[in-house]
Amino acid sequence: MKEMHGLDVDPLTDIAICSGQTEAFAAAVFALIDPGDEVILFDPSYETYGGCITMAGGIPVCVDLDPPHWTSDPNKAYEAFYCQNKSYNIEQVLVCIINYHRKLYGIKTAGWRVGWAIASACIASTIRNIHTRITDCAPAPFQEAVVTALRIPPEYFELLRSDYESKRDFIIKMLAGVGFRIQFKPQGSVFVFAELPESCLLSDVEFIKESIKQAGVVAVPGCRFFHTMPPSDKRPPADLSYQQRYIRFAFCKSDATLAAAAQKIAGFSDARGRLKLF
Amino acid sequence: MMQLSQCTWTFPELLKRPAFLRRSIDSISSRSRSSSKYPSFMASASTVSAPNTEAEQTHNPPQPLQVAKRLEKFKTTIFTQMSMLAIKHGAINLGQGFPNFDGPEFVKEAAIQAIKDGKNQYARGYGVPDLNSAVADRFKKDTGLVVDPEKEVTVTSGCTEAIAATMLGLINPGDEVILFAPFYDSYEATLSMAGAQIKSITLRPPDFAVPMDELKSAISKNTRAILINTPHNPTGKMFTREELNVIASLCIENDVLVFTDEVYDKLAFEMDHISMASLPGMYERTVTMNSLGKTFSLTGWKIGWTVAPPHLTWGVRQAHSFLTFATCTPMQWAAATALRAPDSYYEELKRDYSAKKAILVEGLKAVGFRVYPSSGTYFVVVDHTPFGLKDDIAFCEYLIKEVGVVAIPTSVFYLHPEDGKNLVRFTFCKDEGTLRAAVERMKEKLKPKQ
Repeated sequence: MKEMHGLDVDPLTDIAICSGQTEAFAAAVFALIDPGDEVILFDPSYETYGGCITMAGGIPVCVDLDPPHWTSDPNKAYEAFYCQNKSYNIEQVLVCIINYHRKLYGIKTAGWRVGWAIASACIASTIRNIHTRITDCAPAPFQEAVVTALRIPPEYFELLRSDYESKRDFIIKMLAGVGFRIQFKPQGSVFVFAELPESCLLSDVEFIKESIKQAGVVAVPGCRFFHTMPPSDKRPPADLSYQQRYIRFAFCKSDATLAAAAQKIAGFSDARGRLKLF
Repeated sequence: MMQLSQCTWTFPELLKRPAFLRRSIDSISSRSRSSSKYPSFMASASTVSAPNTEAEQTHNPPQPLQVAKRLEKFKTTIFTQMSMLAIKHGAINLGQGFPNFDGPEFVKEAAIQAIKDGKNQYARGYGVPDLNSAVADRFKKDTGLVVDPEKEVTVTSGCTEAIAATMLGLINPGDEVILFAPFYDSYEATLSMAGAQIKSITLRPPDFAVPMDELKSAISKNTRAILINTPHNPTGKMFTREELNVIASLCIENDVLVFTDEVYDKLAFEMDHISMASLPGMYERTVTMNSLGKTFSLTGWKIGWTVAPPHLTWGVRQAHSFLTFATCTPMQWAAATALRAPDSYYEELKRDYSAKKAILVEGLKAVGFRVYPSSGTYFVVVDHTPFGLKDDIAFCEYLIKEVGVVAIPTSVFYLHPEDGKNLVRFTFCKDEGTLRAAVERMKEKLKPKQ
């Protein structure tokens, strides 16, 4: 934290080691959310956030980020604070930032299930207490291994970043080449959120089904990351059809896998090189 | 994942928001706190108030604790507190139930091999297929029941998570759930997370038999489930066939589910372990929970599972997917190997633990405790009152500081702590040298009051 963000956190009081980031989030939500509390999410958002908040009795309130650059309109967030909460009795607002820690993804051990929550002591303490009632502890041998991982010199991560950037550039070129609309290069994570070609009349789910059947390539339909809020007095009905037009591709795969995917997709392109999966 | 830098709010724009919103972001208001039910070891053992000069220099003064109202009573677990005190005072730890010896080599080797074979990415959410099969095979061997590993077995991060996923997946706010006190502390916490109404039936010494009349009056039309832990932590009681039969007929009559925590099933000494799911008509309404840690002395690996019919497994899997999503991959592969251990492994396990139990039980009797019979688990509970301390907490404090041995005060395992004030729990999951040393310390320094 000090090295990456310049933050001095107290390891004794400000950190809760959890069984993966999923459980860190679950522990935080259960620790802090009372039934009826609202939690604001920025959509598109990872599916488990809303599910976990609902399980804790909270109410997910989604603020849509605007395509194609997923920018945030301050008025939408403002409306989310007020429109939903009719009594305007907001006791406090806590902000939760979920960080795909580059080092853990860098050591490519997502299956080890070690994650953490960092917060001021008054909050971290509660998260720890609730975490021990959910899983008791993260796998002990891997906590030790992660200590080693976090001390790997920065040069390893620079090389890794460069490697992932190449994979990212490869997949973007491949997808754009067959007609996907990619407005910007992802600046982080291991995913590309690509918009279907204009000529493709399929929804994201239909496209994935055809892609599996015909091309043998799997990706995730983007609709699962959007949570449509009903229109309200202050929120006019909006055109949300874009929410079924995105596909999430992962590029955290070997070069051979990415190349094979490219080849399979190319096999389903027309003479102009445009994808023709119907 | 979206990076914060892509949000177009600038700091000046944030400042234009209404004043009270800004105030909320700037200062965190305190919430009311109810008094803790846990003993006051906190001053010396708390991880919150550990003094740290550097932290004081770089941070603001400590804020009051933030916690959801229904979970305010759940602080640092008694196990953590006692283990920390054990270290501080150099006491022999017969408190928290983890062995001070390691698991079998063949299981550790299987984990190492799984890591080397590259099994380090996300496993399938409900379990690595090989482990699901191994669990189903073991379940058949133990109960005679054939279950579908794909539809009826769910792997979780330890039995602790199996319990959390079962409660959160199958209990609605307001549902009544019956527990038998004393009970493992995560039951109450996860039931509170689920918004359940908890009814507690106390098991009393000397034999901790189920008070059936009390159970019959406790069941109502709002009862959704009964939780049974057998072999039972902390008492070592094992539910008899007669008890389970009566409970089963009450559940069938009143359409009540049963959740069973059977993590100590292989540490059954005085009688055979019986799974509720194996009783006629009960599999369809039972979630059977178990784990690797106690049987294989690998409590830090956190591999657990549930076995339940598909219509109950569904809810468990839903909750599990939002709690941890997936379980440690290489350890799952190793767990499959462990569960295929030959019968001789389990026989030797029981022999070893029987010998350890004898050392502790004879030692505790010689010291002057009233020792209650324990049929299973690696725990015994004893009555400490011969030594004249006012309650279990005072006794455990005295035992650590003056005698140098750790036990667990059992009052924390009751909804009504008064019910447990005469009892403390010792564990014998330690090597024989440690057990003998603890007994010697107690013989030397612990004298019954005349």
